[in-house]
Amino acid sequence: MVDYLAKHLRILAQKGRLWVVLYFLMLPTIAGMIVFDYYPKIDVIVMSFFRWEPPTVMEYIGLGNFMDAAADPLFWQSFQLILILLVTNLLKMWPAIFAAVALHRVANQTHRYIYQVLFVVPMVVPGLVWLLIWKSFYDPDFGILNRFLNATGMMTLLTWMDGTHDAPGVMPRISEALQPVFGMVINPLFGGIWSFLFFGAILATLASRGAPHESRGGAVGWMLALPAVWTFAFVTGLGSTFGGFLVTFGVSIFILYKLAVITGGFWVLWFIWIAGLCAVSFHKPIYITALPLVAVAVVEVLYRRLEYFTARESARWTAWMLLTAASFLVVFGMIWTHPTGQFIEGSPAWLGNTDLVIPAIIFWGFPWVGTIGVLIYLSGLQQISQDVYEAAELDGVGPIGMLFRIELPLMMTQVRINLIFMTIGTLTTYEFFLLLLGPDGGPGNKGMVPGLYMYKRAFEDGHFGYACALGMVLFFIVLGLTIIYNKYVRVEK
Amino acid sequence: MSTKRRSKTAEFLKHGYLWFILGTAFYPLFVMVVVSFKTNEQYQLNPWFFDAIDTWQWQNWAVAWNIVSTYIANSIVTSVAAVIFSLIMTVLTSYVLARYRFPGRNVVYYSVIASMFLPSTAATLVTLFALLENLNLINSLWALIIVGAAGGQVVGIFILKQFIEDIPKELFESAQIDGAGHLSQIRHIVLPMSGGILSTVAIMKFLGVWNNVILPLVIMRDEEKFTVPVGLLYLEGEYVKQWGEMMAGYAIASIPLIVLFLFTMRLFVKGLAAGAVKG
Repeated sequence: MVDYLAKHLRILAQKGRLWVVLYFLMLPTIAGMIVFDYYPKIDVIVMSFFRWEPPTVMEYIGLGNFMDAAADPLFWQSFQLILILLVTNLLKMWPAIFAAVALHRVANQTHRYIYQVLFVVPMVVPGLVWLLIWKSFYDPDFGILNRFLNATGMMTLLTWMDGTHDAPGVMPRISEALQPVFGMVINPLFGGIWSFLFFGAILATLASRGAPHESRGGAVGWMLALPAVWTFAFVTGLGSTFGGFLVTFGVSIFILYKLAVITGGFWVLWFIWIAGLCAVSFHKPIYITALPLVAVAVVEVLYRRLEYFTARESARWTAWMLLTAASFLVVFGMIWTHPTGQFIEGSPAWLGNTDLVIPAIIFWGFPWVGTIGVLIYLSGLQQISQDVYEAAELDGVGPIGMLFRIELPLMMTQVRINLIFMTIGTLTTYEFFLLLLGPDGGPGNKGMVPGLYMYKRAFEDGHFGYACALGMVLFFIVLGLTIIYNKYVRVEK
Repeated sequence: MSTKRRSKTAEFLKHGYLWFILGTAFYPLFVMVVVSFKTNEQYQLNPWFFDAIDTWQWQNWAVAWNIVSTYIANSIVTSVAAVIFSLIMTVLTSYVLARYRFPGRNVVYYSVIASMFLPSTAATLVTLFALLENLNLINSLWALIIVGAAGGQVVGIFILKQFIEDIPKELFESAQIDGAGHLSQIRHIVLPMSGGILSTVAIMKFLGVWNNVILPLVIMRDEEKFTVPVGLLYLEGEYVKQWGEMMAGYAIASIPLIVLFLFTMRLFVKGLAAGAVKG
């Protein structure tokens, strides 16, 4: 017995010695990870409950920082820019997709390898060098952009479109001419241009849903649930408290996911939905319930009167026409309403003018083809077997048909991966804005993103604790998105 | 005949699109080189192309080299040191995780993986700054080295662990019987076999540390300790801009990575593709 125990103890001691050695080998990693990775992240959580203004102030204030954050107009305003950036970044994904497809279709192996290498090269030049060179493009006097616009006569065109204060140019005048359309048609009917957009989005959602017998009630139900939640949040005043807002936000994301599943994973509509919801609820919350009802009615009537497939097609076309018209109206009727007066001198300060900062940021990095993105798409395309192409060719599918019927559907996984990276990146990135526009986000805080606002509050104003609280808010938004993506957006590796 | 013609247009369109994309993508680099040989007046007169070669302003490059060389030295020291430390840590940890089952193994492994999924926001920079201040590492290159080496080992550990698991167990066992300890097993078995993967991981790490802007921007105070990105920002922030010198500085700052790229092109393309597939 004693022998037995002693033997076991000896074995255990031997094992124990091995374990100690193993942990000793891993010590640098574990220590480094805890101190420089986990500790700062946990410290953010702790410090968000403190008024922390180094080096002197450090006191516990409970939820005080979060209360301040909920009422901080600049913080929430920064999310508006995020909304704009999300939509434009979504469009900016296309050139990379096309580039990957073109690269994939290059028949010659050697050529393809050369292109692949060339696409990697931009990554080798430090990101900051790109940023600084592009910044030099925007310089009012020396910048290539203004020189190019002047040399090609586009500056004259812009001046003509812009006009002066006394004699507004074409764009402000178009906007003025469109005012009756807003006043007499769109506002009474839809409660504003955003509702108009929203209506188009609902129609498109309904039109792209699966065959009618599949969860027809479901789509309508979920679609009505969303406005109901928002109306409820607004009527009860829940939406204006911080916790209520987060709950509403979470529930909305869940319903959006349900909708996306029903509509066959047509993810673009997410953004239109979110944009529509935010925009409409700021102006006329009542339309949020009315519009889906009307849209459902329209589609149902269409389905009754017409055969299923023609009805679906016509609903889809109507929806896209409405969306196009609405976007057109937004561009011409709402954005360029006043002359900026920047073009007439021939040297607009793209990064120094409140009206031009956002267009400059959006144009930044043209043609918007990122190395990593292209390679991810390419890895997806390379998994498409040659048989699929041959079968399609026998069916007489042309090159453009191939793109929409074979390549895009089969690389959806990769598109989703990039979509995830893009959304989370857009939400958290701030380096670009800091380096380009400074901690205040440029003129009139136009380029203020949430991350930059944290940076500014911490390192400019010295409010470390408040920055941590803002970080927590952003963290939960991103974490929610990550969980949803990981759980529901199927990514086959 | 007609199909052949159509495929020719298609071919032309493809290549045309790719060349357009690459052309516009590389245009900034072209501008950088062109302007680096000009004075401000020459830039004002003709921003589009090189002037006659006898008017080239070679001294721009000399001036820029004087300024940037310190930054480059700092950056090389920081990045190389961070890569070495990071590789040592990664290899040790992956070796242990791949070869042994012991209490707490999963905890360690999953907390390594989880650190990737916990997004870091600008607020983590705030607490990291405070931490470095407490550790007395502000205005020290050590801060960059340590943070660079400690952070973001996930991908390396993940890939390398799987690789070591695929090495036949018998190799390790026979080495053990011959009396080889952990370190000599790593040196004689793991390192020789995983050369390719290790260099890819090293390159990625090097790029990451080299391109880090925000951390050095926040913690570096003395000009002689700036790394390349901070130095370039400092150069750019001068009141009267000397465009030629700035552009020459950018070009010089890009050269180390380009040289690295030329020597490791295959690894680079392969590594990026592998990383892309892993997502």
